[in-house]
Amino acid sequence: MNRRFLIALLLLWSLGPLLWQVYTSFCSDQALIQPFVSNDHRWTLIHYQNVLNANPPFWRYLINSLIVGATSTFLCLVLALPAAYALNRIPRQLSVLTRLALVGAALFPYVLLFLALLELARALNLGNQLLALSLPYAALSQPLAILLLNSAFNDLPPELEDAAKLEGLSLFQRFRWILIPLISPATASTAILVFLFSWNEYPIALTWISDSNKLTLPVAMARIAGSSIYSVPYGAYAAATVLGSIPLVLLVLIFQKPIVSGLTSGAVKG
Amino acid sequence: MTVFLLLPSLLFLLVVFVGPLFRYAWLSFHADSVMTGLIAIPNGGANWLRLVQDQRYWQDLGQTLRFAGVSVGLELFLALIIALLLDQRWRGRDLVRTLALIPWALPTTVMALGWRWIFNTPYGPIDYFTNLVGIGSLNILGDPNLTWMATVWADVWKTTPFAALILLAGLQTIPVDLYEAVRLEGGNPLICLRRITLPLLRPYILLALLFRLAQAFGVFDLIQVLTGGGPASSTESVALYAYWNALRFLDFGYSSTIIMASFLLISVICLIAWIGLQILIPTHSESRGVIKS
Amino acid sequence: MKQSTFIKKILASLFAVLICSAVFGLVRARTIESVTFLMAAPFADATRDLVKQFNQEHRGEINLQVVRGPLETEAMSDLAISSLLLGKAPFDGLLMDVTWLPKYAAAGWMEPLEDFFNEKDVDALAIGAREGNSYDGHLYRWPLTADMGLLYYRTDLMEQPPATPEELVLVSQSLQKDRKVDWGYVWQGRQYEGLSCVYLEMIDGFGGDWLQPNNNHIGLDLDPGVQAAAWLQELIDQGVSPNAVTNYAEPEALQSFKVGDAAFMRNWPYAWTELQKSDSAVKGNVGITTMVARPGHSTATLGSWGLTVLKGSAHVNASIEAIRFLTNESSQKQLFLKHGYTPTQQSVFDDPQLLQDKPILAEFGQALKVVKARPETPLYAQISDVLTRQLSSILTRETTPKDGMNVATSHTNQILISAGEKL
Repeated sequence: MNRRFLIALLLLWSLGPLLWQVYTSFCSDQALIQPFVSNDHRWTLIHYQNVLNANPPFWRYLINSLIVGATSTFLCLVLALPAAYALNRIPRQLSVLTRLALVGAALFPYVLLFLALLELARALNLGNQLLALSLPYAALSQPLAILLLNSAFNDLPPELEDAAKLEGLSLFQRFRWILIPLISPATASTAILVFLFSWNEYPIALTWISDSNKLTLPVAMARIAGSSIYSVPYGAYAAATVLGSIPLVLLVLIFQKPIVSGLTSGAVKG
Repeated sequence: MTVFLLLPSLLFLLVVFVGPLFRYAWLSFHADSVMTGLIAIPNGGANWLRLVQDQRYWQDLGQTLRFAGVSVGLELFLALIIALLLDQRWRGRDLVRTLALIPWALPTTVMALGWRWIFNTPYGPIDYFTNLVGIGSLNILGDPNLTWMATVWADVWKTTPFAALILLAGLQTIPVDLYEAVRLEGGNPLICLRRITLPLLRPYILLALLFRLAQAFGVFDLIQVLTGGGPASSTESVALYAYWNALRFLDFGYSSTIIMASFLLISVICLIAWIGLQILIPTHSESRGVIKS
Repeated sequence: MKQSTFIKKILASLFAVLICSAVFGLVRARTIESVTFLMAAPFADATRDLVKQFNQEHRGEINLQVVRGPLETEAMSDLAISSLLLGKAPFDGLLMDVTWLPKYAAAGWMEPLEDFFNEKDVDALAIGAREGNSYDGHLYRWPLTADMGLLYYRTDLMEQPPATPEELVLVSQSLQKDRKVDWGYVWQGRQYEGLSCVYLEMIDGFGGDWLQPNNNHIGLDLDPGVQAAAWLQELIDQGVSPNAVTNYAEPEALQSFKVGDAAFMRNWPYAWTELQKSDSAVKGNVGITTMVARPGHSTATLGSWGLTVLKGSAHVNASIEAIRFLTNESSQKQLFLKHGYTPTQQSVFDDPQLLQDKPILAEFGQALKVVKARPETPLYAQISDVLTRQLSSILTRETTPKDGMNVATSHTNQILISAGEKL
């Protein structure tokens, strides 16, 4: 089979829908309904204007997602790094069992947790607070994070740490100066994967946040979907889609190496 | 000492994964709804009895399984092709791999709006093409027989890159000499695939399969934004039904029951899938003998 | 040395001024009560001028802000509920659809209002507008607009509007045969709350009843219920309504009627104003009446929106002030003239100047007299869901009217039984 043809097909399939949205976002409402309107009246920036001038403005959602993403990633790493290290230091039976449990938790369809987490938010008054979202997000990404970081710790030669112990370095110092720097590729991979997860997460953000100023990107898009009072709102939708996609496309392009290595090593060890 | 390192993480995990399951189990034996003033009152197995008789739940379950099965099957098939393509070395491969990852990185709800437009009748491009090739307008998002396929398509588009990467990781662990050996014995690419690639890839296929099956079973974002469960409730999933019971009908007791039942069912299904895969694709050592003979 | 003490003095006095102005500002701010209302997008836009007026009149005392929520009623309710479930709702008042009231009241989320609105206030309302504001003996909602379902027809294509379902079909078919219109009747056939509204008018029109909340009697599977469902399905089968009507909500039906594609449309009063706009192909040729029915059974589904105050609000009195302002005579006149929202005060309906300017007001007043509310129960969302599900199946020919209505009845029974309402 012609490889070029397959590659072209792959690119068309992967990028086509998004490119169609880019195209739609610049089309006037008239042009959308009548595909054969002359090119004079076709192009417009009004959809972007509407989306960016909405109340709240679109960039607000991106900032909210950024805040949640950063805090979730930080919290996740703070929890997972020690745990991943400790996983190698507990009795063999226990660690095998724990690893199995973690794999199970990683597979779990977390959307089913929404109700219990909503009750948690009500009980502890965590609703409508962006920083509070990092708590469930960090918890949900623990399984994957621990497994990835643990395999990275495993790859380190044990002599390294023994030598450091002999030098008299405390646990914290060993962490700070030796272990963490050495597994930084794995940490970077884990960080970017957790960050992506929190940008993509929907059900928990939906139930924990209702204030329109605090919405994260996915929830804001869903709300935009239900908001329109026009009969053909798709120009505005397309503009919102493009604006919402840009940060993520940039993330993927910039961090492609850690993402790919994170997923593949996760697969190999998992 | 090590215990202290594990404790914080363990605490979070217990609260978020284990706690809810116990809570759901407990709540499913109580009536907790707007009719009880949002207070939990024990009602024995009434919720479970209701679930068994709830035709809507079983219909949703069937629809969810149909969605998950077709979606995951299609994904794995396409992912294998893509992984085989990306396993070879050619110019621009890394760039193509990155670009192919973009669908996976986009939040579902963001692209769902795009799909609503693409599948729109009569203004979307799909409608344009079906008319061009003479099929006529299909009313994809309004026909109960067709809409679920649109949801499958949107899901496959998003998650195939992820599955492809997993399979690619597996492909890269297969030593090249094995292929050489088969070629020397006169085998063609198809035999390579069947006797070597698939058996050695089995653990990775298993991983992708189980992961995707469990996630697809919980489909929520896509359905809520793309179809809202319609038309005629043909795309409604169990997660969506549970959500509505909690947030629209304010019936937390029944919602817990739905979630608990669904969790038990998906565990059983994953188990069956795992066993099924073991049978379908024999391991390398099992197939080795076939080549020799 | 002198310089440093001089500078210190300057800094000290600046500091003092800062503190004073901050305290002053804080004190001023404390006395301005900030009241927030949540409204669906169309209403938020329509009341913008009124809100500005209110804030001007109450400058320094009350500042009213309207938060714009989603358009779709269900999405709006989801938003309100998720805010309320999380504990402290970020708003004081909510513009509520008539069907949400029992559920929100039973959940204990609303402040009773009977201390603020006395009998005189209630009597000033048009009779139809008094429906759907109370639950369990308490007044919870003060109506803003009193919507009712209407049958719109083309006055240029017929002398009199049809009165019975059979007549509507006959008139449509003859007009379609003469190629005067593409379609006879466009309505809301999508699987959502609008479909329940359409159906309610038909089942009542055929002499039946959906659900009696006091004795929990379900009338869906009885003759009138099945006939109503069958009639709707036949509209599509006979080509009186397009296939696409199974995906129509109010905007789509309006669009179709506005460009002149249909002879009849079911919609709410707001559509009247839209149809008189300059881009409307049927401007000046539109009449309204209540839905076709068996003689004496013509009904209009009640669709009113009203303002409620949430329990736990720190600004109850200020909220009531705002509510009174938004629903007083002059506000209602403004809303009616500019946006076509039906008033709730009887005096507005009787206003001679208004009647002269917009004679359609008299029609609205008549229709308001025959409104019927949807079943008032906290379980409404569930039973409406069940009904629209089955109706959608019937309309898309997945099942027959008889079977569909039987299923709807049994499911409704299940819901009532498990809620403890029925044994």
